[in-house]
Amino acid sequence: MKQILLLEDLPEIRAWLKTLALQVFPGSQISECARIHDALQLVSAMRFDVAMLDLGLPDGSGVEVVQALREKQPDVQSVVVTIHDDDEHLFPALQAGAFGYLLKEQSREQLAEQLHRISQGEPPLSPSIARRVIQYFTAQSRLPQQQYGNEVDSVTPHVQLTDRENEVLLRVAKGFTLPEIGLQLNLSRHTIADYVKQIYRKLNVSSRAEAALEAQRLGLFRR
Amino acid sequence: MAQQFWQQWWSRTRDLFKPLASAAGPLPGDWASVRLNALGRTLLGVLVAWVLGWSVVALNRASSLADRHLDPADNVQVMRAAWVAPSASATFPVQETSSVVPLPDEWARTRAGYSGSVWYRIHFDAAQSGREVLLGAYLERACATVEVQLNGQVLYRAGGADELLSRQCYEPHLLTLPGFLLRPGDNQLDIRVTGFALDQVTARQRAGGLGAVSIGAWSALRERADSQTFWAITVSQIIGGILVVLGAFAMGLAWVRRLPYLWHFGLLTLSWAALTGRLWFSSIPVESRWAEVVLAAFFTPMTAFAVKFLLGYAGHGLQSERERAQALWFNRVLWAQVVLMPTSLLALHKTSWLFDAARGWYTLLGLEVLAAIVYFIWHAGRSRRAEFLVMSGTLGVAAALLGTEMFFQYRLMQSWGWNITYFVMPMLFAVVSFRLIQVYARALQTAEGARAQLEKRVQEISGEIQRNFTQIAELRVEQIAEKERKRIAADLHDDLGAKLLTIVHTSDNDRISTLAREALEEMRLSVRGLTGRAMRLPDALADWRAEVVMRLGQAGIEVEWRHPMDVLDEPLSARTYVQTTRIIREAVSNIIKHSQASHVVITTEVGEHNFEVVIQDNGRGIPLELDGRLDRGHGMASMKHRAKQLNGQCLVESGPGFGTVIRMNLPLEIETVASVIAPGASIPSQRRGDLPPSI
Repeated sequence: MKQILLLEDLPEIRAWLKTLALQVFPGSQISECARIHDALQLVSAMRFDVAMLDLGLPDGSGVEVVQALREKQPDVQSVVVTIHDDDEHLFPALQAGAFGYLLKEQSREQLAEQLHRISQGEPPLSPSIARRVIQYFTAQSRLPQQQYGNEVDSVTPHVQLTDRENEVLLRVAKGFTLPEIGLQLNLSRHTIADYVKQIYRKLNVSSRAEAALEAQRLGLFRR
Repeated sequence: MAQQFWQQWWSRTRDLFKPLASAAGPLPGDWASVRLNALGRTLLGVLVAWVLGWSVVALNRASSLADRHLDPADNVQVMRAAWVAPSASATFPVQETSSVVPLPDEWARTRAGYSGSVWYRIHFDAAQSGREVLLGAYLERACATVEVQLNGQVLYRAGGADELLSRQCYEPHLLTLPGFLLRPGDNQLDIRVTGFALDQVTARQRAGGLGAVSIGAWSALRERADSQTFWAITVSQIIGGILVVLGAFAMGLAWVRRLPYLWHFGLLTLSWAALTGRLWFSSIPVESRWAEVVLAAFFTPMTAFAVKFLLGYAGHGLQSERERAQALWFNRVLWAQVVLMPTSLLALHKTSWLFDAARGWYTLLGLEVLAAIVYFIWHAGRSRRAEFLVMSGTLGVAAALLGTEMFFQYRLMQSWGWNITYFVMPMLFAVVSFRLIQVYARALQTAEGARAQLEKRVQEISGEIQRNFTQIAELRVEQIAEKERKRIAADLHDDLGAKLLTIVHTSDNDRISTLAREALEEMRLSVRGLTGRAMRLPDALADWRAEVVMRLGQAGIEVEWRHPMDVLDEPLSARTYVQTTRIIREAVSNIIKHSQASHVVITTEVGEHNFEVVIQDNGRGIPLELDGRLDRGHGMASMKHRAKQLNGQCLVESGPGFGTVIRMNLPLEIETVASVIAPGASIPSQRRGDLPPSI
């Protein structure tokens, strides 16, 4: 039985997201909330397996909850459920540690399938997000390593993508779908999914390292 | 070594007189050499002053000597001696004991303390020159009044005989000796001079005495008299007139510019002109002692003006508090002098101490002016002023004149004939006032130049401000528009989006939920068109490909996407991206819904100014028999309309059994989009170059 956190401010949509969750994860326990404040309290109070989080909420952005979950319950699969399909909205959530995203307007079947895939470890990756990820890592690699010194490097290792991961990202960015890339690279669907997962994970790790460095640079963080 | 030093010194000193050179300050660290240079310049100034002053003295002497040496060809006889008898009688007192004195006869030497009349008798032989020549007599100086008798006949009278209200001390006398009064052989010329003892006047020039007497051809004498009058009187008068003008001008300038030293210079010039003015009026209807006091009293304010002018022009009293206190003290002393001198002279005017007192005052005043001159030269030399040499020369001459005048009063130096002071002094005034006017003109010019420059600069800056303002306003408008678009977008998402979503997910009717979903997609695209940034064409193509392949794949239709090998990194506006997305989406929807196709080929081509997307399916085509129109329910009209809105076109070719070909050709809008991207604000720079070329 799965523990599911559902954060959505609109009651109707919360209702159908709940049915969707129950459809994908039969018999799961669903904790609903409409405010970030409540969600954070729930995160501190109990353990979850899956979190379905809306981004635009009355008291802030769902990214906060993604971050809290990443820190307190790293095993939770945070799925962003949003109406925004553009990378500007999604990328920060992915950086914060979201494992996938659902676009609200998709049909229930599509949503159910996607949610299922995410829970099975096959997160989606759109070309625009792939481009953002490439951009991000290119910028990271351009940062001079000596800027922070070796001491810092040992604390926050520089995260790099493997060649394969890069290959996958580039192909996604060019508009190839994940199954197509699997065919092109002669890889199984699961392998491709693993690459995507790795990419998300590294994005998160790198982002957190970056944030830590930034905090240290500002004197907020001491070893 | 020494030579090098002198060369260096000279070059620096020469630099002084180049305009604006004085603005450059001395190099720090060589103050010793700066001081040495200042000392050198002061010495140079003193040297110039001395040379000029001495040449004036020499000129004075030379002119006097030239006067005394007459050309014998002029047929003029200079009388070197005369019988003399002090008497107030109407004719030469033959009965009184008389003696012979050399001429010129200065009473201060020969009869000290004597005031009154003195008769001189000169014998001359008229036959020497022949009868055909008109004879004349020339009295170089006769102070204060004179009466001339020839062979007992009164011939000439200048000034009252007894009352002594007039003074003829400065002008020469020329009289004709009429032939009918001349006797062959010996003739007597009796001259009665009435004057004052030296100690009853305030200037040696006005002490009684008779200058040289010349007798000879009238025409030759006339020439000499004319030249003497011209130089001693007329020139002074003319220059006095000029000085009035200059003084008035200086005062006007002072009034306009509010410069105290200009006031002082103007007043000095005017009072000098007033002093010269007495040459116009040889008769003053005041008792002589009073007149003497008044004339002498003129010099204290003049001294005050001169000292104040020199100090003010040197810049004294501007630098420090101490100097200001000094200036105040100077003012008091100078004012006290102005009161004290006439008072003391008045107190003494009945006694025989008048001349000595006046002489003492003159000395004091002269020394004050000399001190001021020295101070000015020292100061001008120290502060490297451009007019240093000019002023040094001028002041040197002035100092020399002062010295001459004082030496003369002390009788340490002879002054013969005309008085060089009255002639040269106004010239110095003229030089100084021209210098002042030049300074003023230059300042005016500089100010004008500065104003013009300032105006130009103001214009430039206001233009710049205008441009900046316009830019800022544009930017601000842009920001507000951006903000507003974002607000609208957020509102749409939150409000309309939520409602549509609810319909999508709560409606039991498939058609309604599909419509609502399409509406939601439309809305999102619209918002993207509103707020979206420009894209790169390759990215847009990738997005389209991903969507098309995914949708057709989900529908079980085989897809072949033909892509140009190398897509140029052209920019694509959000509007074009959104509209093209809609057209493609509609076309794909049509294929999925209506075509029953099993295979779709999508070809994209990118040209220089446009790009082409061709979607070809192997379906059953769009049946014509439906109303005879192609697009019923297929959204063809809206696709075409959208393409048209982008200044492109969308062609649909279809026939039953041939499938459908949708061919859209859309412009790239490079210029428009490039201008949006160029400021760098809309697209992060990495976005444009980091991706490797297409696979």
